[in-house]
Amino acid sequence: MFGIRKFLFKDGSPAHLPDDVKAAIEAWRASSGPQLDDAHFHVRYVVIDIISSGLKPDSDELLGIAAAGVREAGMIVPDDAFYLDFSAIEGEGEAQQQAVDRQLMAFLQFLAKAPLVTYHVPYVGGFLQRIYKERLGIDFQPNWVDLAWLLPSMFEEKSHTLQPLDHWLDLFGLASGSGRRDAMENTLMLARIFQMLLVRVSAKGIDTPGRLVDESRASSFLRRTH
Amino acid sequence: MRQEGRRRVAGNTLAFLKNHAPFNKMKAEALQAFADKAQLVFHSAGSEIVGPEAGNVRFFYLIESGKVQARQAGEVTVTEYSILSLGVGESFPIGAVTAGRPSTNTYTAVDDVFCYQLPAEDFMQLMTSSPEFNLFCTQYIASLLDQSRCQLQLQFAQRANEQQTLNSPLVGIGSRSPVAVAPETPVRAALETMSAAKVGSLVIAGEDRKPVGVFTRSDLLDRVVLADLPHDAPISQAMSPAPFKLEEHATAYDAMLAMATHGIRHVLVTDAEGKLTGVVSERDLFALQRVGLRQIRQSIEGAHNVEALQQSAADVRQLSFNMLAQGVGAEQLTQFISALNDALTRRVIQLNLENHNFDGIEWAWLAFGSEGRDEQTFSTDQDNGIVYAVPDGLTVGELKTRFLAFALDVNKDLDRCGFPLCKGNIMASNPQWCLSLDEWKEQFSQWIRVPQPEALLNATIFFDFRPLFGKVELAEAMRRHLLAQTSSNPMFLRAMAHNALDVEPPLGKIRDFLTDLEPDHPGKIDLKKYGSRIFVDVARIYALATGVHNTNSVQRLRLASKRLSIRDDEVNAVLEGMDFIQFLRLQHQYLEGEPGTQGDNLINPDDLNELDRRILKESFRQARKLQTRLKLDYQVN
Repeated sequence: MFGIRKFLFKDGSPAHLPDDVKAAIEAWRASSGPQLDDAHFHVRYVVIDIISSGLKPDSDELLGIAAAGVREAGMIVPDDAFYLDFSAIEGEGEAQQQAVDRQLMAFLQFLAKAPLVTYHVPYVGGFLQRIYKERLGIDFQPNWVDLAWLLPSMFEEKSHTLQPLDHWLDLFGLASGSGRRDAMENTLMLARIFQMLLVRVSAKGIDTPGRLVDESRASSFLRRTH
Repeated sequence: MRQEGRRRVAGNTLAFLKNHAPFNKMKAEALQAFADKAQLVFHSAGSEIVGPEAGNVRFFYLIESGKVQARQAGEVTVTEYSILSLGVGESFPIGAVTAGRPSTNTYTAVDDVFCYQLPAEDFMQLMTSSPEFNLFCTQYIASLLDQSRCQLQLQFAQRANEQQTLNSPLVGIGSRSPVAVAPETPVRAALETMSAAKVGSLVIAGEDRKPVGVFTRSDLLDRVVLADLPHDAPISQAMSPAPFKLEEHATAYDAMLAMATHGIRHVLVTDAEGKLTGVVSERDLFALQRVGLRQIRQSIEGAHNVEALQQSAADVRQLSFNMLAQGVGAEQLTQFISALNDALTRRVIQLNLENHNFDGIEWAWLAFGSEGRDEQTFSTDQDNGIVYAVPDGLTVGELKTRFLAFALDVNKDLDRCGFPLCKGNIMASNPQWCLSLDEWKEQFSQWIRVPQPEALLNATIFFDFRPLFGKVELAEAMRRHLLAQTSSNPMFLRAMAHNALDVEPPLGKIRDFLTDLEPDHPGKIDLKKYGSRIFVDVARIYALATGVHNTNSVQRLRLASKRLSIRDDEVNAVLEGMDFIQFLRLQHQYLEGEPGTQGDNLINPDDLNELDRRILKESFRQARKLQTRLKLDYQVN
């Protein structure tokens, strides 16, 4: 399915974009990502959560993005975080549209092609892919680590089946009382689970981001199809 | 939107901080500064978070979830460490991060732990900007102790620098009276001079004492023996001419550099006029850096005579000094000094056994008093004795004569190694304390049966015994006898308690401290008499009452309080108080005492800084609390 889309929307910036965004996209395309065969310690991961109007990436609307970098094999630094609330972007008409595009671009620059971590890639990745394709003409295909599928295979002693995120938080003893969490709180929860996961996978010999991404792919494939 | 990202991450941290002291009392800006900089890190169960090997502490850690265990570390081999458990909202290692030094504790995650870590520079910033945070860091009793240690460290660091680093001027290093001969001296005479002086090298200097060459043992091989140089040839033909010279004010580092650059082993030291004043050898420079636990142990065990042990004794002092400067606690330090002094004493005994034969006789060398308790400070005189079993065919009298002769030699050698003879003559060479097992038992029984003042005084010295060498079982037999006797004589323990309550901690009703208790030393407090001795005495009584075999006061108090079901935090407070007083004693003995002389225990509380005065006061309060308890338990008024 992704292949067909790629075919339909050939890479290239849409004409309506402001020049600075176009230039930034070119620069981003030309930039190289981190070495995925390096140690976890040397590679920065970015943990992401989103807010949307519904669960269907193809038709519902993306409302916000919260992301936090995790570096040096498990360190969350306040300076390395990103929060985008589309409804808070000021301006009207074309100016507002351009502001949205610039923010999307800023987010790409923030990511810096790092491997991305989230809970349930089809949902999060689906929304991101659509908005980047529609607005910036970018085929957003980062290296994903999907906690939803990876946790049951890495923390079998806690649960070996797919669980809602809140169940996992309970199992990890991270449940932070009652009340809804906002997207950044959710991201930080995911980041904590990811910090724990990094220790666990390293102990299992999965010692590079490349291997972790492969493991994530394998686990989601195996679990879904078997 | 990165600002917004940071704001929200920090907001998450803020929510946590607001629920925990002292952060909940801090002003908004200070709190925000913490939250903006704090990094969240995960430590899996069992992993080390920070320890002494990690170098200077880089972060202030605040536990967000999970438990952390703090364990005293160091190159000290003592059996019991103080272990501290830290939970959510607690922080560490405050003392080390404030001082910018390595942590003296090892902090390990007990279970999965999330910590906020604040970089050291941001921590220091916060200390200056937030009075609340500052107060918290200085008030916390453990950090108080730590802090006082770091102030001390500064003083020590300066002295340590002067004394023993490679920055020291050459004038204080190496031989000050180098063996020198004139250039025309015949080879044979020069060699005789070397042999007589037991040196490996010789300086060749003219009448003006300006050096012209050096002659070493390796020159002997190459330039005399192999070169067939006649023995009546002048030494100038065999010497290495134009020796390398440095002036007195050059540093040890310069000398080391010169040796490495020129491939030489000796540097001649001259005064401003170029006249010879000393020689520094590679070994002298090595000695500057030699002082380490293992090296000292090895040199003690390998020592073949008392002279070598004298050097080791000096090294023990140097090392303990360095450890004190590194912030090692008093409990560890005193046990450490004891451990090395034990090794030293054992070696002295072994060396003397070469002249005295006790084959087939069971005997043991005993340490009494502070040595028996593993609580030696820098200036401790000898307290020792001998116990032996009389085999068939020998009489006590015969054996005693032989042991006394042996003990006299040992006592003298120990004196030469820096353990002065005991003024009270509590030494193995005194016939009173060189007894057979039966005599010891009888002596103990007698003291316990008739608790006269002298008997009670003796009990405070002799009941703290520990076998240092020989048949340990003999000492154990003494201990079993002692504990059986004391537990069946409540009157004796009561008398001991009465005695222990004679002296009270010098806390004033109006002033902080009473400083007029010692008529000869107005304005001063005897930290031993009015401080550590109170703890030691109470510890002894409870140990005897509860059948604790240990002699060390910390261990005695810990074990006895377990048997008496006294709460841990109560005991820890007492032990911290005792530790601090011991620490002040060590500090005083080292900072005020001239190296090599006996320091005293008299301090003027006005000389202490505000911090130390407050802790000292609290420590004395702990002593008083301990006495109150003793009073109640033994019904002493």
